[in-house]
Amino acid sequence: MAAPATNIRNFSIIAHIDHGKSTLADRILEITGAVDARDHRPQMLDSMDLERERGITIKAQAVRVEYTARDGKLYRLHLIDTPGHVDFTYEVSRSLAACDGALLLVDASQGVEAQTVANTYLAVDAGIELIPALNKIDLPGAEPERVAGEIHELLGEEQVLSVSAKSGAGVEELLEAIVAQVPPPDGDTEAPARALIFDSDFDPYRGVVGYLRVVDGALHKGDRLLAMQTGTEADADEIGFFGPEMTPVDTLHAGEVGYLITGIKDVSLLRVGDTLTSKARPAEEPLPGYREVKPMVFCGLFPVDTDQFPDLRDALEKLELNDAALSWEPETSQALGFGFRCGFLGLLHMDIVRERLEREYDLELLATTPNVEYRVTTTAGTVLPVRSPAGLPEPTSIEHIEEPYVRASILVPHDGVGAVMALCQDRRGIFVTMESIEQRQQVVYDLPLAEIVLDFYDQLKSRTHGYASLDYELHGYRESPLVKLDILLAGDPVDALSMLVHRDLAFGRGKALVEALRATIPRQMFEVPIQATIGGKVLARETVKAKRKDVLAKCYGGDISRKRKLLERQKEGKKRMKHVGSVEVPQEAFLSVLQIGTGKR
Amino acid sequence: MSGVRHLYVHLPFCASRCGYCAFVVEVGALDRRDAYLDALLAELDRESGRLGTLETVYLGGGTPSLMRPRRIARLLDALAPRLAPGAEITIEANPETIEGRALRDLRLAGVNRLSLGVQSFQPHLLRALERQATPDQARQAARCARRAGFEDLSIDLLFGVPGQTPADLEADLAEALALAPDHLSWYELELKPGSRLASNGTEPYDEDEAADAYRRVVAGLEDAGYRWYETANFARSGHRCRHSLAYWGAADYLGIGVGAVSTVDGVRWRNAPGLGRYLAALAAGGEPPRTREPLDPDTVRRERWMLGLRLDEPLDVAWAGAPDFPEAVARLRRLGLVAEGGDEDLALTREGRFLQNSVLHQLMEYV
Repeated sequence: MAAPATNIRNFSIIAHIDHGKSTLADRILEITGAVDARDHRPQMLDSMDLERERGITIKAQAVRVEYTARDGKLYRLHLIDTPGHVDFTYEVSRSLAACDGALLLVDASQGVEAQTVANTYLAVDAGIELIPALNKIDLPGAEPERVAGEIHELLGEEQVLSVSAKSGAGVEELLEAIVAQVPPPDGDTEAPARALIFDSDFDPYRGVVGYLRVVDGALHKGDRLLAMQTGTEADADEIGFFGPEMTPVDTLHAGEVGYLITGIKDVSLLRVGDTLTSKARPAEEPLPGYREVKPMVFCGLFPVDTDQFPDLRDALEKLELNDAALSWEPETSQALGFGFRCGFLGLLHMDIVRERLEREYDLELLATTPNVEYRVTTTAGTVLPVRSPAGLPEPTSIEHIEEPYVRASILVPHDGVGAVMALCQDRRGIFVTMESIEQRQQVVYDLPLAEIVLDFYDQLKSRTHGYASLDYELHGYRESPLVKLDILLAGDPVDALSMLVHRDLAFGRGKALVEALRATIPRQMFEVPIQATIGGKVLARETVKAKRKDVLAKCYGGDISRKRKLLERQKEGKKRMKHVGSVEVPQEAFLSVLQIGTGKR
Repeated sequence: MSGVRHLYVHLPFCASRCGYCAFVVEVGALDRRDAYLDALLAELDRESGRLGTLETVYLGGGTPSLMRPRRIARLLDALAPRLAPGAEITIEANPETIEGRALRDLRLAGVNRLSLGVQSFQPHLLRALERQATPDQARQAARCARRAGFEDLSIDLLFGVPGQTPADLEADLAEALALAPDHLSWYELELKPGSRLASNGTEPYDEDEAADAYRRVVAGLEDAGYRWYETANFARSGHRCRHSLAYWGAADYLGIGVGAVSTVDGVRWRNAPGLGRYLAALAAGGEPPRTREPLDPDTVRRERWMLGLRLDEPLDVAWAGAPDFPEAVARLRRLGLVAEGGDEDLALTREGRFLQNSVLHQLMEYV
């Protein structure tokens, strides 16, 4: 057995959104000369437009930089970027598995957030070395001592570095700490090759780009490779590293991080977490930790213009190629026509996919109320997965229904604990535990995922003035007395507005939903009653009053064109409406359920 | 073609700009009235080949009465050979700019219809609109017009004015009827981009209150014997505005003057705003700066529907052209918005007229 090169350091940066991870990565690239400060765009590592706009990192990246340390030796550092959102926990865990150490970067004024805690635990579970550092120490609101205390509480670590990623102060010390404290990679250079795919990307011309960490042996250009979990076989057309541009090499050795291009066009064939080995000399065991990502949240996506249905299918087929977590199947709605029921990792993932479909494929889409996957046991004893209220069997053939629960961990200042607990109780939460971390409380609840999918996060933020942070993971199924709430517009049921709700909450939800719909649906040529019903029994009713005046006030010879154009603009506005029976319904009405918690309840 | 039979003349001069105004007007340029009249006559001369016998002439503004009767007389003298017997010749006037003598002189010059811009009889609403006339001046002007021999008197009023209460509206109705005009135009105030009211953040009138006001105006005037012959226009028998009926009947018309619009033989053109440019172009013997908009057959058809449905008379479908969504007619009949009848013509019910735009969008594709 031979150990990999001792001058390699593989590390990532764990940080909450906005705590300065991207800025620090930029600074590291500059200081090590990987990029010239002049032709540098901010947030170099976030390459998708959407990411830059939202300030979040969707795709992990892996950049190689070279750094001559104060001991005079040249080190090769691989900075592996990790996604920063609760929807992408699995991707984070795989990125961490590719590292031997991690910087825990915490905003010196914001302090430790629930996500930071969650990702820190992931890192601790992965057994990697953690180096804590405070960022934004030069900002007026910084409280380095308090926040260092929180980190001590979290890690038991006494020494906490201080940096300003913005100015670059302290970044060299950070690099020195990485060299000194992150262990060089272990592994066996002579064993059969094993490389972990910790992320993948999609290039429209070259197909799937796998991001990998070679653990044992080596990968060579031209090797016949085998993905041990999926069984996919492919040739290594090109291997290389990011410097940060893609730089091809002949060999990636044990301990090194880089990319692989095989010509495969479908990300589901090269899945994150899979182990690549050599077909000629395969390893016996894959690397641990592989998991198939499962969508947790489902919604219907329908084209506003029914003619766009084939375009939507094409777009989903293409998007699926670079998003292994996206699932979809055809769905027909009486109200909305032909569309697809799509599955996502979470609400953010859903938003991102929808935006990409609209932006990159020029589609106009209507999204229905998101829901979770229920498990229905029928009286015949079979268990059915149910991903939409319309898919629910007849009430008489249902034995019982189970719904997915999550274990949610919420970090909140002490004075916000009451509000958080009230919210969790309100959302059918089951208290698990609570403990104090420095100035804050960590409150743990088991909650139905369906309640999180509703506006839980927004409510949490608003009820705690933005101070609470949330992390959660799936925590099994529980039986629930769920009922199907139907909405009738002008007397006709609208399947796309149906939802499954807890029996005890049905009245409140139904009332809030019809109120939200009344506020969203514009007045029409006739009165539109909106009813919420369960099993045909009306729970709540609102009415959109009929229009009583709709004329162009004045029209003389000089403004005929102007008035005609006004009609054209009005028509443009109507295009965003969907005809449901005789009623024109704006797109946002189908997401009204997401707003029902914001008003009075 | 027998030539254009309807002429609009834009007379842009104003003493001040009203708060709701977004028209092409010229404030503080009264010294250029003679030069403007020369330019108008030059443009008329350039376009004379298009003109047939004129059935209607409309002198609009701005404040046309500020041109003074002698200039109006010069303009009408130039038109005299083209006027049909009994041609309708309208002038718009602001009450504070007109008195007995001037009205008599206008009558003598050939003007036979007066449209008085009253807007409201309530001092606080006139202030909100930044109108110069007092309610007394409005009443006075109407009486003088009668005395001067105007047998076709119209007054303009507004509803939906910020601060207008239902009681204010009742008072305006009563005051307007007391003047016994032959014709009324009663518009909803529009907050037009470019007007001071729009730019100072005035709140639009509440939808239901505006609907109440509109319906009250229609009912009040109908009860007093006026015919609701167009969306916002009311007339005693024999007093509909023939010039406006030409617009709503999608007839050709020539417009001269700064900012004026013409529609002739499937082309619409608009003289650019800007008095200086207009005067310079015509003084130099050229065409005023214009933008042209050719009207394709679909546009013509959609305009005919837009305009025709404003009237209380059925729309002749063969003349207007088929609707884009003929299947909507049955639905609209079921909703009680289109009157029962055959396919040759289409009439809105009373309720349908209040929802004319919605009906239009069901029938026609405005793209």
